[in-house]
Amino acid sequence: MHELSLAQSVLEIALEYAEKNNAARVDRLVLSFGRMSCIQPDALETAFEAMARGTRAEGAVLSFEITPVVISCLTCQKEYDIDYQGILSCPSCGDPSVLLVGGTEDLKLIEMEVEQKE
Amino acid sequence: MAVKLVTIKEDILKDNKEMSALLKARFNKSKTLVVNLMSSPGAGKTSTILNTIEALGPAVKTAVIEGDITSTVDADKMDAKGIPVVQINTGGACHIDSAMVAEAVADFDTEGIDLVVVENVGNLVCPAEFEVGEDVRVMILSVPEGHDKPQKYPLMFIETQACILNKIDLLPHTDFDMEAFRKTVMSLNPKTTIFPVSMKTGEGLDAWAAWLKDKVDKKKNG
Repeated sequence: MHELSLAQSVLEIALEYAEKNNAARVDRLVLSFGRMSCIQPDALETAFEAMARGTRAEGAVLSFEITPVVISCLTCQKEYDIDYQGILSCPSCGDPSVLLVGGTEDLKLIEMEVEQKE
Repeated sequence: MAVKLVTIKEDILKDNKEMSALLKARFNKSKTLVVNLMSSPGAGKTSTILNTIEALGPAVKTAVIEGDITSTVDADKMDAKGIPVVQINTGGACHIDSAMVAEAVADFDTEGIDLVVVENVGNLVCPAEFEVGEDVRVMILSVPEGHDKPQKYPLMFIETQACILNKIDLLPHTDFDMEAFRKTVMSLNPKTTIFPVSMKTGEGLDAWAAWLKDKVDKKKNG
């Protein structure tokens, strides 16, 4: 359940930027992470909802941009987005000699929509 | 009311990464190698630490940071062997983070300590995401857990530099497929090293201890 500590950090950063931008309310947060990161969006939403109560981010909607698992095939010399099913191999030539080049990206807060004070 | 889109692009774990960098600077000063040791509960972290310290011998001064949700069971085992140990109780959290380690070592003099092993909370998922000021990340999988674990928990295998496969004395009693295991692990992380060991019989311990000793020496002399 590391989503609790992640939600806490998301809230802290969101409130810091809300203050800087003279925002009365935070409506929406856009987050991103790699598909292979061990992050459960539902758990993160629940934790965030509880922690944001009584703050300017209460009721804010979280949306997620999940970046794909990307491999670089040493045989084809090309990169492919793959649907990871437990074993990494090239979707084109089937060779297992591939390098993982995307999909483990850490959680980031990309942007948010706020309502500014009059 | 005016709606505004605010661009942020901040790493959610940045506070932890900054704290980890501070810890690294501190351990670099005392030339102490820090190992973050991770595995499921019961894979053999504590016995691996005890056996490794014995294999390294008294020339390598080692201290241990124990991370558990509660209790001092593991710290007591270290203490009984005269190993300097600090216990962190996470109070429910599923992983150790850098702030917890910083607090644990606040009053701990690492001058003259060659190796600090951080025994993370037993969990094959969450600890992979949190740096704790370490130089090296090592994981343990045990044979009874099954050869399919790299497929199910890929991040841990991707984020570590060595994978100790413990309890190989149990291989004859299980369906563990060593070839399939190796293949999956190497496909996820071609740079990792797999050490098949039995902490019960001592088989394979020397190769693992030599790998670690090399890292300790490089840090000390580097």
